[in-house]
Amino acid sequence: MVKSSIVNAVLDEALRTGGDYSELYLQDTEANTVSMVDGKVENANYQRKVGAGVRVLKGTRSAYAYSADTSEEALIACARAAASALKGTKECEAKTVAVDRIGASWAKIPFSEIDNAKRIALLKRATNAAKAYSDEITQVVANYMDNDHRTWVYTSEGVHAEDRRPRTRIAIQSVAMANGEAQTGSCSPGYGLGFEAYEEKIDAESVGKDAAKTAVTMLHAPECPAGKVPVVIDGGFGGVILHEACVHGLEATSVGRGNSVFCGKLNQQIASPIVNAVDDGTLPGEWGSMHYDDEGNPAQRNLLIENGILKSYLVDVLGSRLMNHPVTGSGRRQDYTFAPTSRMTNTFFAPGKDDEEEMIRTMGEGLFAKKMGGGSVNPLTGEFNFAVGEAYWVRDGKILCPVRGATLIGKGAEVLMKIDRIAKNMWMAPGMCGSLSGSIPTNVGQPRIRVAEIVVGGKGGAL
Amino acid sequence: MMTFEQFKDACFRLALEKGCESAEVYATSSDGFSVNVLNAEIIKYAVERNKGLNLRVLFAGKSGYAYTEVYEDPERLVDRAIDNAKVIENTDANPMQGACAYPEITEKPNPVVDLSEEEKIDLALRMEQDALAYDARVNRMGYCSVDTGVAETHISNTLGLNANSTERYSYAVLEPILKQGEEEQSAFSFKFGPEMTDYHSIIQESVGNALMQFNASPVDSGEYRILLRNDAASDLLAAFSSMFFAERVQKGLSLLSGKLNESIASPAVTIVDDPFEADNPRAFDAEGVPSVLTTVVENGVLKSYLYNLKSALKDGVASTSNAGRMGAAGAVTTAPSNFYLKKGEKSFDALKAALGNGLIITEVSGLHAGLNPISGDFSLIAKGQLVENGAIVRSVDQITVAGNFLAMMQGIEDVGSDLRFGPPGAGRIGCPSLLITKLVVSGK
Repeated sequence: MVKSSIVNAVLDEALRTGGDYSELYLQDTEANTVSMVDGKVENANYQRKVGAGVRVLKGTRSAYAYSADTSEEALIACARAAASALKGTKECEAKTVAVDRIGASWAKIPFSEIDNAKRIALLKRATNAAKAYSDEITQVVANYMDNDHRTWVYTSEGVHAEDRRPRTRIAIQSVAMANGEAQTGSCSPGYGLGFEAYEEKIDAESVGKDAAKTAVTMLHAPECPAGKVPVVIDGGFGGVILHEACVHGLEATSVGRGNSVFCGKLNQQIASPIVNAVDDGTLPGEWGSMHYDDEGNPAQRNLLIENGILKSYLVDVLGSRLMNHPVTGSGRRQDYTFAPTSRMTNTFFAPGKDDEEEMIRTMGEGLFAKKMGGGSVNPLTGEFNFAVGEAYWVRDGKILCPVRGATLIGKGAEVLMKIDRIAKNMWMAPGMCGSLSGSIPTNVGQPRIRVAEIVVGGKGGAL
Repeated sequence: MMTFEQFKDACFRLALEKGCESAEVYATSSDGFSVNVLNAEIIKYAVERNKGLNLRVLFAGKSGYAYTEVYEDPERLVDRAIDNAKVIENTDANPMQGACAYPEITEKPNPVVDLSEEEKIDLALRMEQDALAYDARVNRMGYCSVDTGVAETHISNTLGLNANSTERYSYAVLEPILKQGEEEQSAFSFKFGPEMTDYHSIIQESVGNALMQFNASPVDSGEYRILLRNDAASDLLAAFSSMFFAERVQKGLSLLSGKLNESIASPAVTIVDDPFEADNPRAFDAEGVPSVLTTVVENGVLKSYLYNLKSALKDGVASTSNAGRMGAAGAVTTAPSNFYLKKGEKSFDALKAALGNGLIITEVSGLHAGLNPISGDFSLIAKGQLVENGAIVRSVDQITVAGNFLAMMQGIEDVGSDLRFGPPGAGRIGCPSLLITKLVVSGK
């Protein structure tokens, strides 16, 4: 994207005041979005975001400057601005590029070959399927996005890494209304693929129907009772519990500064012995995947928890300096307006040995969380919370009825120890994860699991 | 590369040549500086230069958008915008604001923006130092930052609109981590505008909130009388503010549909949208419409929705100057300006006495997930304090509070005098502490 002589001048300028590591990040992203309400196209948008950021490290100090202007003068100005954070004199030179890493796009059908008519046709199919599901569906909001995200990373250690990450997703939200009450259901699959995702992976009709089914089911559901009970969490997006309750606390962002309940716990038991957990950025075409991370390091498959024992943290370049831990290919950022930090990619509980039906049959009274919503965590204390989008109350090991408005809360370290069943079939679902380096696409996943007890929040009485 | 003016003019000329009825540019540029310190060292130092241009064209009555951060190839941008306009099926008219006059706005001077980098860094360092000295239990900082900048917005179109604004912003954020025995707790606090240099109030507030969390435990599940503290109340009001957007009502995504001039809240509730509010005034909205003050709820009765030009035309009313954009790259939507529930007369302590037996809720989290602005339902993790006979007995954590926003608004017994605004974002939302008849709590 820029000449190698300019790259070297920028990296060198950044080291002028005594930095020991400099990095130039360039980005060029084209995105298309279409939104449909009630079956009619409401909005279509095209966005091109281009910019660059220069980072300087000296030990564990970090300075970053970015600009939406990528001219040579602007890049040098960024290097100067970042360098001005340090007050020393030059201690090292930037090496010329010695390692070339080029990641090829996983897209078979690039979005540049797709016109709006094809995007709209998908949303129509999903909307129609949602409306056809029930007369109680009063509104359907359908959104489409595709994104061709290209990155170039150059470091003073002689690394040059380019990546091209296609991503596309449709998000369908259905509203069911009756008697002045409204309930919603959503389904939002996405992949790190080109437009072929809609032939190979995503069936628009099923997405619409799925979103409608949840909304209608919840419309006729009583409020969820409150209490501390056993909870079965279904596979796929259920893995958000691993994401929030545990892995945010394994990121160098919190561990590196001593701000996580999982600090100092490597090679110690942090979860029930049946638990294995992985963060894998290498899976081809998945929502959270990449070839090289936003610091130019190769994506990795990181075994985080093995038989309940903590085996690895998620570590970026700065984190590796703070923690004396190797980098794990986890340096990510939303775009050039953020310096990179340690983040997740595709994070999941590995398949176990248990039976999906047995774990409900033997749970007594509790909650079956079929569709999880989003959540958040405080890594310092491990306190997490999740919304449950579609849930069922279980009594005597049998599903009694759907329940609405359920929330799960607890402390990550406690919940991990209470997992007593993990089924065999694992699948993943996409989400957007927000942290210090912005909002990034991550997959969460798991097989169906059971937790011996969790606090369930809701406003209902006895069923 | 073309200059901004050349690029903009070329976009307008090409758009009209290609048959657009009108074209509009929404452009932003900003310079920012941010520093974060830990252990008397700078751990994050950032210099930021943003710019971007969003072109909106009106083609055959439909709006199409295209955004770029590179001022090259205006024809491609115009073509993309026209392509996007051509596919719109919504048949509503898409008005654009023409030439108009704007009210005089007086912003409070903000000298913090003009401090040198060294002075800003020093401010952050002093804030950390003073926080560590404030209480023996303050162990370290999770976050200690100072941010400042200047952001410019320009909106112009081929109908003669020309609106320009410059915003000088500054804020300080602090998250002290406190340690007592083996237990650690932290809390965030922030201050915006020139008052941020008085960082002692930030320290006092954040340390106070963190201290409150030690030795906390859940309460029994059940219904409780609730005193929702002003910061938690404004977070909740912000999360439900989209219920009041005409755009959402028209699309069947708000329970306030058909409720104009009906009671939707207790008579203690009056909500206004005030673009002239002294700490964050603005002359126009994201469509360049001159600011107007709107009473949204008056003594519990819904008086108006929040409108942009398009939703206003559809309802046959005037825009309430509530057009918004999700960043420069986004399409025109709806956003509050300074949207707040008007304060009452009682102090927080008087409300606590009136609470009698119940819970003070000081924090609700997970609002992006545990809350549904369409159904109005919420079920959120919360922290607070147990109150018996008007006195605080102990701290409470690991509970959820659940309810429905509209039912909660009807159940407001009293409104405090302690109006407080949350951080500015897609609108700035304020609320005093609220005494609420009941919410359902899940705990032990």
